[in-house]
Amino acid sequence: MKKSLGCLLFYLLMVTVWQPAAAVAQGGSSDVVLETTKSAFVKIDIQVNPLDVLAGGPGSVTAGQLVEGVLVQDLQFSGLFRVGGESTPADSLNFEFTIEGTVEGPLRDADQTGEDAPLTFDLNLLTWPERQLLLNKRYRPLPVQVRTTAHHFANQVIDLLTGEPGICLTRIVFSRGEGDRRDLYVVDYDGANTLRLTANRTLNLCPSWSTDGKEIAFTSYRNGEQGLYSLATTTGKVRQVIQLEGLNLGADWHPSRDELVVSLSRGQNPEIYRISPQGKVLKRLTVSQAVEISPSWSPGGRDLVFTSDRTGTPQLYIIDGEGANRRRLTFEGQYNDSAVWSPNGEEIVYVTRTGNISQIVLMKATGEDRRVLTDGYWRNCEDPSWAPDGRHVVFTSDRSGVFKLFVYDVTEDTFRQLTFGEHPDITPAWSKH
Amino acid sequence: MDRSILIRRNATVFGLVMLMILGTFLVGCGSKQEVETDTQVPADQTPVQQIPEEVVPEVIDADQTALPDYGTLDPIEYGIEDIFFAFDQYDLDSESMAILSANARILKEVGAAVLISGHCDERGTVEYNLALGEKRARAVKDYLVSLGVASGNIRVTSYGESKPFMTGQDEDAWAQNRRAHFERP
Repeated sequence: MKKSLGCLLFYLLMVTVWQPAAAVAQGGSSDVVLETTKSAFVKIDIQVNPLDVLAGGPGSVTAGQLVEGVLVQDLQFSGLFRVGGESTPADSLNFEFTIEGTVEGPLRDADQTGEDAPLTFDLNLLTWPERQLLLNKRYRPLPVQVRTTAHHFANQVIDLLTGEPGICLTRIVFSRGEGDRRDLYVVDYDGANTLRLTANRTLNLCPSWSTDGKEIAFTSYRNGEQGLYSLATTTGKVRQVIQLEGLNLGADWHPSRDELVVSLSRGQNPEIYRISPQGKVLKRLTVSQAVEISPSWSPGGRDLVFTSDRTGTPQLYIIDGEGANRRRLTFEGQYNDSAVWSPNGEEIVYVTRTGNISQIVLMKATGEDRRVLTDGYWRNCEDPSWAPDGRHVVFTSDRSGVFKLFVYDVTEDTFRQLTFGEHPDITPAWSKH
Repeated sequence: MDRSILIRRNATVFGLVMLMILGTFLVGCGSKQEVETDTQVPADQTPVQQIPEEVVPEVIDADQTALPDYGTLDPIEYGIEDIFFAFDQYDLDSESMAILSANARILKEVGAAVLISGHCDERGTVEYNLALGEKRARAVKDYLVSLGVASGNIRVTSYGESKPFMTGQDEDAWAQNRRAHFERP
């Protein structure tokens, strides 16, 4: 069971790793210099056309439709495009670009031949109506890699047209289950491909991606006691990072150095520590009789925001990496926790509790411009985590009964539910690019 | 295999007998004498007769029949009570301290090891509640140790809000879930 899990994970991650190489093999982009269209408010109108099926059986048609569908969704999810298709009335959108392409597959599908033969996709981005070729990519994915192919091309389009790297190949790791049996799962940023990562019949939660995406640190009771562990994303192998008496909780990887911040109680009181990935304590950053938890590095890696209840209620504080220059960040409300710094360092999103309800708050890292994102229609919302685009935040909400994951666009105040099902999903963490 | 099942059954029956006696004393004499009743249980009180004949020889070991293996009992079976907390609090009130005094007397008497798990109601974040649960369990341990219970016999853990004793989104459920729970280590 464990082995097959590891293999599956390895395989899925290899799909991603393999794709860019394939793209480079036959890809090429023109030398057209684009005007910068990057703007928070002006969206780019783009048309996505059905792919022409050059050859192949029904599987090729389906694969072509899948790529078209994923491309449309990716561009819409980015928040940077207005997307139309063939049937979009000509005057409703002012198309500047168009995507078209071809798919070519084996004449007979794998279920008939028993062979998992690759398909060939030729995808093009052109200006509209001039039809000047901006980007051409050729892919040869196996049927199981077709979604990834579309995500990869969408990332290329977003990068080229907006100057911002797309998040279409990012994933979200989270904890799913009930009671003291919760396992880590990972899901694509669009809600597809949910994959279980742990199976040890204990509590596994609070995952955190390493900056290079190769490891996921998490808290687990797999040895009976609470400890901090790390899962290698390419092999699925889990190793212990640190297990001191009491809490070993809330790890966050440093954005550039090979180390983490974590909350350890060491048989006494939870304090913030910097530790190496091998579990060596590098520096203790806080000293108090209070609870100090939930550290999160600033994207530059100089400061960190964390929660302390030293005044009697949990509030947010900022310290530097040496534990000095402490300043209190929140003064409003009796309960502020789970802060995370936005990728550009300008904003912090966190949880505030009013009465019995937890809500998500966005504010400047200076403490100004505090804005509650989730209104009265939401019930409890917890555990926010930023997408690397700095525009989307994933958090949990029990608005549909049990806690599930929701993705919120902080620019447009729109959201979509990411995970479904009867078991609670908690403590999500969005991967880096 | 047979042996361990037997010991457990033996111990459970013994625990029940003990609880009954203990209950009688509690009603009659108040809590001060409850621990003394433990030692007054005669060694031959064990229900040897109920044990299937073929395995009797294995357990007629005086030590095992006289003193149950407390490691196989839930602490509640030998009179230990859980401690409850106010909203967002991890300090002990006078009622909790009184219960812990009784718990300490029993623990010292039987010398059993226990696990204290800290729990919270569902309000608040997962991480803060894990920390709060830890503080609650540790406050209980520290007080027991201050009353003379061997520190090495008490292990502490926290489940935060993840293992509620009662589901529901009202104060009745929440109050049940804000606790330090004694369990087998």
